[in-house]
Amino acid sequence: MATLRREIPKFIVMIFGLFMLLGSFTTIPIFDTIKAELTSWTVTISAVSVWLGAVYASYANYRLYQRNKKEGIEHLIYFIVPFVVFGLQFGSGILYGVESPQYRWYFTNIYQNIGATVYAVMFFTLASSAYRTFIASSWDATALLAGGIIYTLRQIPLFQVMIPGIVGAGEWVMLVPNVGGGRGAVIAAALGALALGVRTLMGQEATITEGG
Amino acid sequence: MSVLSKLGKIDYRWLYITSLILTAIPLVYPIGLSVTLSQPVKDYYSAIQDLPEGSVIAVSFGGSASLLDEQEAQFLATWKTIFSLGHKVLFYSTTEDGPMILQDHLGDKVKPEDYGYTYGEDYVELGFSPLGEPGEASFAANIRGVYAADKYGTPLDDLPMMVDINDYSGIDLLMFQYTACTSIEWVVRQWSVPYQTKVIATTLGCCGPMAAPYYPSQIEGFLSGSGAGTELEVLSGNPGPGAAMSDSKSIGILPQLVFIAFGNIAYFANKYMKKEDDQ
Repeated sequence: MATLRREIPKFIVMIFGLFMLLGSFTTIPIFDTIKAELTSWTVTISAVSVWLGAVYASYANYRLYQRNKKEGIEHLIYFIVPFVVFGLQFGSGILYGVESPQYRWYFTNIYQNIGATVYAVMFFTLASSAYRTFIASSWDATALLAGGIIYTLRQIPLFQVMIPGIVGAGEWVMLVPNVGGGRGAVIAAALGALALGVRTLMGQEATITEGG
Repeated sequence: MSVLSKLGKIDYRWLYITSLILTAIPLVYPIGLSVTLSQPVKDYYSAIQDLPEGSVIAVSFGGSASLLDEQEAQFLATWKTIFSLGHKVLFYSTTEDGPMILQDHLGDKVKPEDYGYTYGEDYVELGFSPLGEPGEASFAANIRGVYAADKYGTPLDDLPMMVDINDYSGIDLLMFQYTACTSIEWVVRQWSVPYQTKVIATTLGCCGPMAAPYYPSQIEGFLSGSGAGTELEVLSGNPGPGAAMSDSKSIGILPQLVFIAFGNIAYFANKYMKKEDDQ
C-alpha cells in the first residue's frame, strides 16, 4: 500500500509533466490542446486548495487548542474568528450581493482597515530592527547599509531636493548592482528548478510524495 | 557608559512616537515637495502613451485592500492616463480583493463613463479568478477557457469589445499588478517571453528591486511604491492621493535615519573605547 502511495503520485506527475513538455517543445496540435486544457485545470485546483487550506488551518488550530486548553486560547480564537468573518462576509454577500452598499461598507470600513493596520504595525518591528542591525560592523554589512540608505534616500522627495545626485545614485544602486545580483540569483534558481524538474519527471524526487 | 555608547541603547518607543508624530504633521500641514521622475516611471508612462488610440490594454489586477495605501496613487493615476488616451481596457482580477477595489475605483473615483467610455465596448471587467502563474498562462492562451463570462455573467461573445479578443494576440499591452515580489516572474515567463507581449508592472516599494532585473527588456516600465505613484501623478498631470503620502514619507522617515546613525555612532564609539582599554 505504501509503495502505491509513493508510486502513483510519481507516475501522475511524470505523465502530466511529459504532456506539458511535449506541448511546449513540439508543434503537434494535440499536445498543445492537452497543455492548454491541463493549464486551465489549475485555476479550479487553486480554488479548491483555498478551501482545503482553510479546513487544514482550522483543524490544526482546533487540535492545538485541544492539546493545551489553558495556554492555547489563541488557537481557539484562530479557529473561531475565521468562521465568524466568513459568516459575516458570506452572509452580507448572499443577503445583499457583493456589489451592494452594505457589502462595500463592510469591505471598506472593516476588512480594509484591519488589513492596513496589520501591515502598519510592521513598521514598528522594521524600524527597531533597522536600528539594531543596520550597523557597519563588516564590509558586507557596510555594503548593505550603504545600498539601503542610498536607495531609501532616493525614494524620499525631501532628500531628492536636499541631496543633488541622490536620484542618480539610487537608480544606479537599483539598476546596476541590484540587477547584476538579481539576474545571477534568477539564473541560479532557474537552473536549480530545471534540475528539480528533471528529477521529478524521472521519479527521483522524493519530496513530492514524502514532504520537504 | 559614555554618552556616545548610550546612543545605541535608546528606548525604541522614542523612535515609534517621533515617527508617528512626524508622519502625521504633513497630513495636517502639506509641504508640497517637488518630485524627481525616475526612468522606470517615465518608461511606464511612455508604454501607455505611445500606444495608438483604441489599443487594448489587459490589466491583470492583483490588488490587496490591506496594501492599498501603498498603491492607490499608482492605480488612480494609471486609470486616468489610460482613459484619457482612449485605450480599451480588459480588467481581470487575480486576488479576492481585486473586484472590490476596482468597483470602488471605476464606480466612484475614476468613472470610465466620464471619459466617454461604454461598458462592453470600451472596457470590460472579468471578475476574480485565482489564476497564479498557470492561470496567467492559460489566460494568455485562451481567455474564454478561464472566463466564459464577465463579472456580471454576460457571455464574452455578447460583449462587442471581446468579439475579436480571445488570447494574447488581441492584447497590445499587459499591465501586471502584483504584491508578492516574485510574482513578476509569472508575467515574464507566460507573456513576455513566449508571446513578446509588451508588459508594464505596478507593485509595492519593497518589490521594485526584484522587478528591476527584467527592466527594460521584458518589462518596459514599472511603478514601485507610493513614491512612483506620485511621480506618475506628476508626469501624467493627474493629481491624486500620492502627494500627501510623499510628504508624510519624507518627514516620517527622518527619525529612523537618525536612529540608524545613532546605532552606528555607538558601535564605533564602543569599538574605539574597547581598543583604548586593551592598550
